[in-house]
Amino acid sequence: MKFGLFYELSVPRPWTRESERTVYDNALEQVRLADELGFDQVWAVEHHFLEEYSHCPAPELFLTACAMVTKRIRVGFGIVVCVPEFNHPIKIAERTAVLDILSGGRVEVGTGRSATWTELAGFNASPDVTKKSWDEFVRCLPRMWTSEKFEFEGEFWSMPRRTILPKVYQRPHPPMWVAVTSPGTELDAADRGLGSLGLTFGQFAEQDKRIAEYRRRIQLCEPVGEFVNDQVSTVNFLYCHEDDAVALKTGRQMANHFNYLAAQLISVRETYPSKSYPSLGLLPQLRRQATGPDASEQAGEGLCLGGPERITRALKRWEACGVDRVNFLVNTAESIPQAEVLASLRLFAREVMPAFNGGKS
Amino acid sequence: MPLFGELELGTIAGGLPAMRDLDTEAWELPKAEILQLSCEVADGTRVLLPRALHPAIPEYVTFVVTRYPESPVGSFDLAQVRLMARAGVHPRGYVLGAVASSPSAVGALRERWGYPVVPGEITLRRYHDRVAAMVRRDGRTILELALVDPEIVSGGDLQYIHGVTLVRVDGAAQLIQVDPHYTLHQASRGRADVSRFEPGAWNAALVELTTPISASVSTCDTDLPRIRFVMDPETPVVRGTRKVR
Repeated sequence: MKFGLFYELSVPRPWTRESERTVYDNALEQVRLADELGFDQVWAVEHHFLEEYSHCPAPELFLTACAMVTKRIRVGFGIVVCVPEFNHPIKIAERTAVLDILSGGRVEVGTGRSATWTELAGFNASPDVTKKSWDEFVRCLPRMWTSEKFEFEGEFWSMPRRTILPKVYQRPHPPMWVAVTSPGTELDAADRGLGSLGLTFGQFAEQDKRIAEYRRRIQLCEPVGEFVNDQVSTVNFLYCHEDDAVALKTGRQMANHFNYLAAQLISVRETYPSKSYPSLGLLPQLRRQATGPDASEQAGEGLCLGGPERITRALKRWEACGVDRVNFLVNTAESIPQAEVLASLRLFAREVMPAFNGGKS
Repeated sequence: MPLFGELELGTIAGGLPAMRDLDTEAWELPKAEILQLSCEVADGTRVLLPRALHPAIPEYVTFVVTRYPESPVGSFDLAQVRLMARAGVHPRGYVLGAVASSPSAVGALRERWGYPVVPGEITLRRYHDRVAAMVRRDGRTILELALVDPEIVSGGDLQYIHGVTLVRVDGAAQLIQVDPHYTLHQASRGRADVSRFEPGAWNAALVELTTPISASVSTCDTDLPRIRFVMDPETPVVRGTRKVR
């Protein structure tokens, strides 16, 4: 099992000239430490207009900064929005390739399509066709990275024969992933031979089933890339402290902040009836976690909040479910002081990581 | 923390519907037809929203015109303008203003669920290429809107957000959650077109429509249920919510 960090870059009000800079600076310091401690990946979202919840519209820039201050940690787009009004596919291919070169081949490319009215309407993009455009984009990207010359005529974009430069550093190309929030999207990932980049905090029983079906389905896939990425990644909160009670209290506060801010977003489904968004995805679950039975003194099932033993137990269960990677949100809205976040990372690396991968990070 | 509403309660306290108690009995409302349009609005509506609630980002309103062919007070139509918000983590539609087509419905809706409703004339018509509604009051058209180019969707594609009304109970201002159930029989969606909207007639003087979002129409069995939750309008709902039953 591999461990990573996952960044929304949430910035609490009141906003000052320095508040966004502080959030970015703190995140970079965490990433630098995580690299030294043996964490494997750092991921950054692409979100637009999501006040307080995420001030991270340009993951390629943040990830470039991460790559420049680290040596080993991989840098992942979590995700790049594959909707033409947001990103032209040529620019996606070029930007990811440049970062792959600058990072020495450490890029991972998560793909997705946005789930909020706030963002889609902001770019004047129709929610009805985002899945189709995403599908077109993910089938083109590997060929844009690997073909000497590329031409394409599709429903959402076209280009005459050109050489897309530069080429990615990794051979044949970076691993590709799909953001999975709504049930069923993991099967879209499997059918295309793409990794499942889980962005929900689902519970064991539900994840067990979904991962088993993903594993079965990906055996039959027609990969869009030159290789199959059959890894399952999930996201979790992390706050590790010697004292379980302290960790739970602090971690729970962070999780509540996250769930609360996430619930303020306008999901597509709330306001725009569309077959393209058959479920609310992440939001109902976060609302349940913020106000439902999980919102008790106990951390939700499987959350990595607690002392090293408790967190190790939770991660062993995730490992048994078939999860290959766990990416951690280590702070939200700066609710935990930076020194404590760094201490939590150090304790996790010292006490929890050795219990996995034969003690090797 | 997210932004909060900024309503000065004192500015509207005198006009709030009054409820004797919270022991409202439920109404079964079969075969209802619901036309709903949503539309983004210009910034500045936070002053209309109670301090307990968070504004939606971007700010938006819904227009809900419902025909109830059967009810304990007979057939009636109800039109609402709702400012969309969050009660803690839950999306809610704060009812700014409402019009009902029968005096008995006006009385019951005010006294039992706290709708800020006044009498008026409502038409709801289905055409081949549109479903149109018009609301008139005192001889003036105060709302005219339509769902244009309907296409059938699954009932599961629609989401109806629960409402919240601001009332006076035992002399104290309270927010009442109105959370009907819906069993959908037929649903369509289409383009939203609002050709006339007089904000002042809906206690929505500061609401300026900007970008239409969507429109839907459905046929469903629904209800106006017993009241389950009330909230202090001046306190964030995570602290100020009381479960009635």
